[in-house]
Order: sequence, then structure tokens, then C-alpha cells
Amino acid sequence: MSVSNVTATGINRSERITLVRFIGLYSFLVLMILILGSTIYFKLQKDLMLQTKRLELEEYSKELIDGLKLLHIYFDRYRTYPRNPLYRSAIYDADHVQIFSTLKHPEGVQLEKVIYTTDGVIQYIHVLDSYYLGTKYTVVEIDDDRKWFTQAWRNILIYGGFLLVIFLGAGVMLMRLFLSPMRDAIHLLDRFIKDTTHELNTPVSAILSNIEMIDTQRLDPKTAKKIKRIEIGARTISTIYQDLTYLALNHKIVSEDTDVDLSALVKERVDYFRILAESKKIDIETDIQPGIKLHIDENKMARLVDNLLSNAIKYNRRGGDIFVRLRPGELVVEDSGIGMDERQIREVFKRYKRFDSGAGGFGIGLNIVAMIAREYDLKIEIDSQKGRGSEVTVKWDV
Amino acid sequence: MGRLAVTILLILSPLLAAEMNIYERNCVKCHENLPVSLDKFFFNYLLKYSSERRVKQALRNYLKHPRRKASLATEELVSRYGLMPKTTLSDEELRRAIDIYWEKYKVFGKIE
Repeated sequence: MSVSNVTATGINRSERITLVRFIGLYSFLVLMILILGSTIYFKLQKDLMLQTKRLELEEYSKELIDGLKLLHIYFDRYRTYPRNPLYRSAIYDADHVQIFSTLKHPEGVQLEKVIYTTDGVIQYIHVLDSYYLGTKYTVVEIDDDRKWFTQAWRNILIYGGFLLVIFLGAGVMLMRLFLSPMRDAIHLLDRFIKDTTHELNTPVSAILSNIEMIDTQRLDPKTAKKIKRIEIGARTISTIYQDLTYLALNHKIVSEDTDVDLSALVKERVDYFRILAESKKIDIETDIQPGIKLHIDENKMARLVDNLLSNAIKYNRRGGDIFVRLRPGELVVEDSGIGMDERQIREVFKRYKRFDSGAGGFGIGLNIVAMIAREYDLKIEIDSQKGRGSEVTVKWDV
Repeated sequence: MGRLAVTILLILSPLLAAEMNIYERNCVKCHENLPVSLDKFFFNYLLKYSSERRVKQALRNYLKHPRRKASLATEELVSRYGLMPKTTLSDEELRRAIDIYWEKYKVFGKIE
């Protein structure tokens, strides 16, 4: 018997969900931080490149203005625009109307800025004090070699990736740190259940076998009633014992699947529980079609039926009804109990989940049902309404 | 075809002549006698006011209300020849005269 194996079924699954959710949220936040950092870095790199290029462009701009000045003075004789193969340029008047241009991308000009990149070129704007030829703005343009861009992206990917790995590693460590108290508590509970189970078997068997040997017909009614109460109590303990044993030994028991006479089994389990139901004045009605068989481990099927019946009794009102119907491919257990809302239905198969702490039990019953159903591909449908009762249907392929 | 062109020219010529006359009669006529030609003044206006809208507005303001402070002529010229008299043209005539002046000396389309 292995405690770690026992916890593996229920706890690791919830741990996995928590892990996925935490990693999802954490990764999102980390990515946000990295994107923000990368954006700032990218912008800084771009500004740095533009500042470096600005000195060069300012020189070109001065040269252009000198040329414009000469053109302005000698315009009646000489009308050739000052050109230089190192750069392209344009001139604009005070109303942003283009006077002349040799730019590759005149459509991208932003006169309100100083220096910027657009469509693979760098443009520098200079505002003149004296408007030679009406020029208020000179635009000087050179090609952007994009080396800074490639370098910036390479650095972002390398350092960003490195930081992402470190952050995710730290995230996993943090999560394990936060999960460990919860995991310890669950381990403790599982270990307690395992130890308790060991000690329950012998006394419960002794009580039940001895009660069965008593001939209640020969006892006076008062004593017979007391014996019946003892039997109910012992059977309740026995059911809990069976469940706990199943949980504790689940992964150690090799399933012995046979063609089980389900009709007989359900009838037998209903009879077994009838005495418990009677104690709450609950009436069990059955509609069991004879001769229905299912290839399954008999003990496991008994655990499944027991738990459905036990819950139907446990969560029923005093004087309520239970209806059990067996048809080929379908077992229905219907009760007139407290019912569940949608959220409760979603969580009902979780281990240690109880919706009425006054009803007793450990909240492991439906978890066992779910485990067995998963093993044998049985489909479980729950139809329930708060205050009206629940209908649990187990379906299988015929 | 040639006849049509001649007819159109004959119809338009008085109009063109009238337009030119506003500028030539009222601007060129006076400035011919001054040592600084109109084209120099135009480039002075460009140097100070830059765009077509601003140059025309400045010219209009100055011609309607000539003030020493607003004049772009040198001190020497002003003290020697004085400020030009206030225009007698109507707003529409003045606008047309300035438009002709702008079209004659503008740099748009002339830079090579």
C-alpha cells in the first residue's frame, strides 16, 4: 500500500490544475514585464542611434542651408537646387507646402518632429530663422541601414529568453513552496485514513457476524430494537471501512473482471441498505430488470452501487423516497433529498468534498464512484435541483 | 484650328491686358523709378514670410496701411524716398495685383 499512490489520483490532479493556472498567470505577468522592458530597451537603442546620426544630419542640413542661401541671392541667374549624393533633401514653407524635394519618401515627412525613422530612412528636420526661397523647414534624409534594429532584436531575444527561463524557474520554486503546506496536510489525512482502516476491520467484522448470529425473534421487542440499531451502526462503519480500504488499496488491487449479474448485485445492495434507510424512514423503491450483466470487478461495482445508495440515504430528508431503476446500459438512483446547484454538481467528484457537514462521512464516496467509472468507461450523469433531490445515472455501452 | 486659337486670344487679350495693367499700372510704374526692383522686394518678402498665404497677407496689409515698422525696405531707402502712399485700389483689385506679382516671381516650379 502506498500513500503517495493514493494521493496521486486526487491531489496531483488538483495540483496540476493549480500549477497550470499559476504558471499561466505568472507567465502572463512575466511576459508583460519582459515586453515592457524590451519596449523601453528598443526605444532607448533607437534614440541612441538617432542621436548618433543626428550629428551627421545636422552637418548635411547646414550645407543645404548654405546652398539655399546662395540660391536665394542669385535666383535670377542660377536655379539649380543644392544636391549631394550623401543625402537627399526637401524644403517646405511655413504652411508646410513642399517647395522642392529629392526625398525617397516625401509622404512620410513629419515637420513637427526633429529626427525619426520612416520606411527605412532617417529624416532630420531643421527649422530656419531666415526663410531662403520661402523655406521654413529643411528635411535631410539618409538610408537607415537597420543594423541597430537587428542588434536590438537579437539582444532582446537572447536576454529576454534568458530572463524568461529564470523567472519561470523562480515561479515553479515559489509554487512548490506555497503548495507544500497543503500537500503535507493531505498526506497527513491520507496516512491517518490508512492507519485507521487497518484497525477497523476486525472489530467491525466481529460485531456484524455476532449480530447476524443473534436470533432477534426470540428477544423481547425493546432489546431487538437496540440490536437493530447496533446493526445499523455497524453496517455504516462497515461501508465506510469498505470505502477507505478501496481508496487505500486502490492501486494495489488487481481488478478481477467477470460477467457480474448486475440485477442480483443491485438487489442485494439495496436489501443491505434497506435497514439503514428504514432508520430514517426512507422508502426504497426498485425497478430492476432481471438478467442484466456487466463485465466488471464485482467488488468495485458493489462499491459504486453502495456509494450511490449511501449518498441517496445520507442526503435525503427524513421520510423521503429513493428510487432505483436498472435497465440494460443504465442504472438510475433517484432521491428526494437536499439536491445540489450547478457549482456543487461540478465539484461533487472531488475527494473530501461535502456539501452538508451534518450528514457525516468523509466526502470520499463520489470520488470513489468517479474513479471506478473512469476505470471502466462508465458515464455518470447528475441531474439535480436544490431542495428537490438528485438523480444519478450510470451509463455503459451494451 | 488656327482660326479658333486666334479667336480665343482676341477674346481673352483685353482681359489679360486688363489684369496685367492693374499690376503694371499700379506697381511697376512707380517702382521703375526706384533703385530697388520689385523682384528684390519679392525675395525679401519670401525671406521674412515664407509661404504664399503669409507673403500675400503681409503685402496686402502693408499696401493698405504702409508703416515704417512694417516696411522691408532699408532705412536708407525709406529716408531717401519715403514710405509708399496708401493704395487706392479696391480689395479685389489689390488681390488681383498681388496674385499677378506672386505668379511672376514665385519659386515653385522654377527650381531645377
